[in-house]
Amino acid sequence: MKNKGLLLGLVIASFIGQGVVSKWAFPQWSKDYSPNKGDLSGLSGDQMLFALGGFREMLAGILWVRADAFFDQGNYDAILPMIRLVTILDPHQIDVYATGVWHVAYNFTDEQSRSDRRYLPAALALGAEGAEKNDHTYEMFFETGWLWYHKIDDNYDRAVYWWEEAHKRDDIQQARRNILSNAYIRDGKLDKAMDMYKTLLDEAEAKFAKSAEYTDRIQRDTVESNYDNMIVRMAQRGNFAQQRGEFNRADFKYGTQPPYDVGFSGRVTVVEPRVIVVEGTWNVQPVGTRIRFVLRDTDYPEAIEGGANWDANKKVNLEPPTGITYLQDGLFVKNQSFNRRIDMSRDPTMYPLLKKDYTVEFYYNTRSAPAHMQDKFGYNGEGLTDKNFLRTDVREGQRVVYASLKLTQDQLLRVGEWSMSGKVPVVQTPNYVAVGEVNTDTFFTVPSLRDRVSFPGAPQPDPNKPPVTGQ
Amino acid sequence: MNVILSIAKTTVGEAIRRRVLLIILLIGVLFLAVAPGLSVLSLRQDFSVLASFTLGVIKLTSAIIAIVLTVYLIPNEIERRTIYTILSKPVLRWQFVIGKYLGAVAALGLMMALMTVTLVAVFAIMGKGASMDVILNLTRAPVMFFIQMSLLAAVAVFFSTFVPPITNFFLSGGVFMIGTIFSPVFDSISSNEKTSGLVKMGAGIIHAIVPNFGMFNIENSVINQGQQIQNPTFFMLKMLLYALLYICACLFLGVIVFDRKEV
Amino acid sequence: MSLAIETINLQKTYKSRGGGSIGVVNNLDLQVERGEIFGFLGPNGAGKTTTIKILLGIIYPTSGVAKVLDKDAGDLEAHKKLSYLPEKPYYYEHMTGLEIMRFYASLFGIKDRAHCESLLERVNLTNDMNRPISQYSKGMQQRVGLAQSLLNDPELLFLDEPTGGLDPIAHIEIRDLILKFREEGRTVFISSHELSDVERICDRVAIINKGEIVAQGRLDDLLAGGRIEVTADNASEEIAAKLRTDDRTVSLGHGRLILEMSDSEDTGAVIDALRSGGSEIVSVIPRKKRLEDLFIESVASDNQLKGRKMSKMTGESTEPEATNEEEAGS
Repeated sequence: MKNKGLLLGLVIASFIGQGVVSKWAFPQWSKDYSPNKGDLSGLSGDQMLFALGGFREMLAGILWVRADAFFDQGNYDAILPMIRLVTILDPHQIDVYATGVWHVAYNFTDEQSRSDRRYLPAALALGAEGAEKNDHTYEMFFETGWLWYHKIDDNYDRAVYWWEEAHKRDDIQQARRNILSNAYIRDGKLDKAMDMYKTLLDEAEAKFAKSAEYTDRIQRDTVESNYDNMIVRMAQRGNFAQQRGEFNRADFKYGTQPPYDVGFSGRVTVVEPRVIVVEGTWNVQPVGTRIRFVLRDTDYPEAIEGGANWDANKKVNLEPPTGITYLQDGLFVKNQSFNRRIDMSRDPTMYPLLKKDYTVEFYYNTRSAPAHMQDKFGYNGEGLTDKNFLRTDVREGQRVVYASLKLTQDQLLRVGEWSMSGKVPVVQTPNYVAVGEVNTDTFFTVPSLRDRVSFPGAPQPDPNKPPVTGQ
Repeated sequence: MNVILSIAKTTVGEAIRRRVLLIILLIGVLFLAVAPGLSVLSLRQDFSVLASFTLGVIKLTSAIIAIVLTVYLIPNEIERRTIYTILSKPVLRWQFVIGKYLGAVAALGLMMALMTVTLVAVFAIMGKGASMDVILNLTRAPVMFFIQMSLLAAVAVFFSTFVPPITNFFLSGGVFMIGTIFSPVFDSISSNEKTSGLVKMGAGIIHAIVPNFGMFNIENSVINQGQQIQNPTFFMLKMLLYALLYICACLFLGVIVFDRKEV
Repeated sequence: MSLAIETINLQKTYKSRGGGSIGVVNNLDLQVERGEIFGFLGPNGAGKTTTIKILLGIIYPTSGVAKVLDKDAGDLEAHKKLSYLPEKPYYYEHMTGLEIMRFYASLFGIKDRAHCESLLERVNLTNDMNRPISQYSKGMQQRVGLAQSLLNDPELLFLDEPTGGLDPIAHIEIRDLILKFREEGRTVFISSHELSDVERICDRVAIINKGEIVAQGRLDDLLAGGRIEVTADNASEEIAAKLRTDDRTVSLGHGRLILEMSDSEDTGAVIDALRSGGSEIVSVIPRKKRLEDLFIESVASDNQLKGRKMSKMTGESTEPEATNEEEAGS
């Protein structure tokens, strides 16, 4: 061929050209399209092959359809690795993260419908990863915040953090913006909640003025009513007086003043191996009290009073937790007392009870309480006290009731000296009062227009009626 | 030019009648058509699952067609001796190679267009609430696949000038896989601060040499709507330029090899 | 007038697996004059197709010179003026006869549809030109091949086994076409082992064996000189031995002797010798030398080929052993 030299030159030129262009195009690809950045060492060989191959989205889709069948079958354990693989294959499938977080946090329960909270770190880490990989949208920030707000129902500063992040994203839905105000309230940040409502109201009014659409009117009305509600409640609970420094004026009466002693006492009896009865007193008559009860390994990872630092570990690990025990339940108070039988024997994987020492906790904070309770106790427990168990050091800025007791493995399993023919393990607070001995004169009432029973002078509960026990 | 076009045109006519290709295409289209049925099972994630599955089907089908089509492109001509009647005409070998390649790419384009039309129809009919804008945005992926497969075809044509078809099938398929996987691996290596400079340099050299098929995989951004991509079209144009240069390198080198080949 | 084809010392060798080299074409010197029909003959594997491929520039010679229409083999200018009909050609089967023609025409830059149609008419395919090639018989495909080879009104045609695998009527049609080509002043280069066809139409032939030319020249010259076959009964082994010379073939079986000799020898002396030996002359037949004979003579110099190819080419067994050998070899 005559032009072989020319052709060879063209080959070399175009080959160099492609190298240059690939270097030029690479940064944008890396930023916008690359399936994986940074450390791949966390992936197994096959995961890596799938994750980096050209058909990862397709595989993710097929796996997800498959996972759906497992959902239907209730084979929840099988879904965990699939969630992990799908999110590795396509970290932009937000619904997989959202569903995964929900699934991990909510779907693992024991026979009495208590949620397996040992999965919470995994759920939170998955949510955080989803948010990080999809920081263009509010969704995973919202979902992760929701776990703190609704599932963990404590440490509301975490919910506030995630939802504030969600708010920075333009695509956040209106209804989901409103709820940030509630998170501010529960986090004790009333000023921020007010500001938020104000902002939302201004926006909603401006929008409605412009469009005059029904949904916009609904939004305006909702925000307005919530805003008003908050102002009324703050006034009732003395928050404005507190700001003015007039909270303690003798001629000003508020529902939260003076603090009310709930008179907590508690006892745990191991009635059978792995079966306990929790009972005690709580001097509150109106329905709506739920005292958090925790039974956990004393050395449970990252445990704090009445909970744990659930997001201490940032790494997503969807392996089912093994060997550790964490039980959380809500003790409903009825007729100023609670009584609940908790059967762990039917869920040995969830409650393996493999450790020697166990801690039993009772925990009550008013931030999670319903509004009519808050009307008495205040947003942060201003109106709450307990002669023996009031704690102000357990949650910053809050007055909570907290008590803890110790149990041993032998006691819980009823072995050794605690065998069924031996002693019955009972642990209780020093002030434990048997239910029948509760002083029924000193309960408080909350005025309510609907529940006439709660009015002073309304018919009293029949003292001969035995207290309603838990299941 | 007329000669190249004539050869290309004939190649198209032949390719779109090759039974094996039509069967692969039919399977692909069939999968696309039944895809909504598969994801009906999945109440969640409707759009993404359907989009990822259908785009995956298009890519897989196109890749197989691209390879099967091109590995036999020149060997078939030799085996049937049609190449002799052509090369005994005033046709230069480079014209023959380029014409065959362009014909193959055009045929591939037709087949991929059919699949893309099916894709659009599936989404338009089955809805999943996707607006026409979203659906049209979805077609960015097949467009990129087409550029990607054109590059794959060029690689296969280059190999076909010196290896037999079956070997070429695995060779081209292997290069496609390596090229797909290496892009993210390189991304990972170059963004990992712990990696030593020597490894990074080596990876950089490989990245500059192997065809970066992985960089054409932009489907994630159209499957998962709402990602903030700046100038997606500009990126596609960059990749088009990249593919064109690489295709030129492959074809010219193929021409050099083929020119001395005893057919 | 310059030669249509000329090769000087053309050589094509392939590397063998053992590392040595195998010569497919050796020291080939060909001269084909313009306007003649040239027969390029040789047994299968002799190097005919390789030579044609070299002349067309499809493969490259290891050494030597190959000129076609005064240009180097493979030259684009020469390709505009030549055409090639390969052995058993296949076409794109999805195309119709006319589409094939138009495709090949476009390779010459010819867009004239009527031209294509008229050529198809010339090979009697007008009625079938809109049917796909896949429905054509072998003869029809061969005729399409001939029609396409005329597209550029070529000065030189290469026809590789043009009548291979065709029925007798198609043979005749194609032969007539080739003769017409000569009338039109074209040079036709036919490679074939169908000797009877070549004999009837070729002006000159070259016989190639094992890559080397063993005979080349005008057919008339090469076929000069006839043979005489003498058949006698009651012949003895002694007399057969007495008559056997290098130039004669003598075979004897069941007392019947068949002797073949050049017509330049003294026939009478042989007859006398037979008669005096007590034999009875059955027939004395003079035979004109045929291409077959020339072919066998030329090729048979190679012992290895002798039995196998001769019988194949002539279609008759010279010796029983040879027949066996052929069967064993096939």
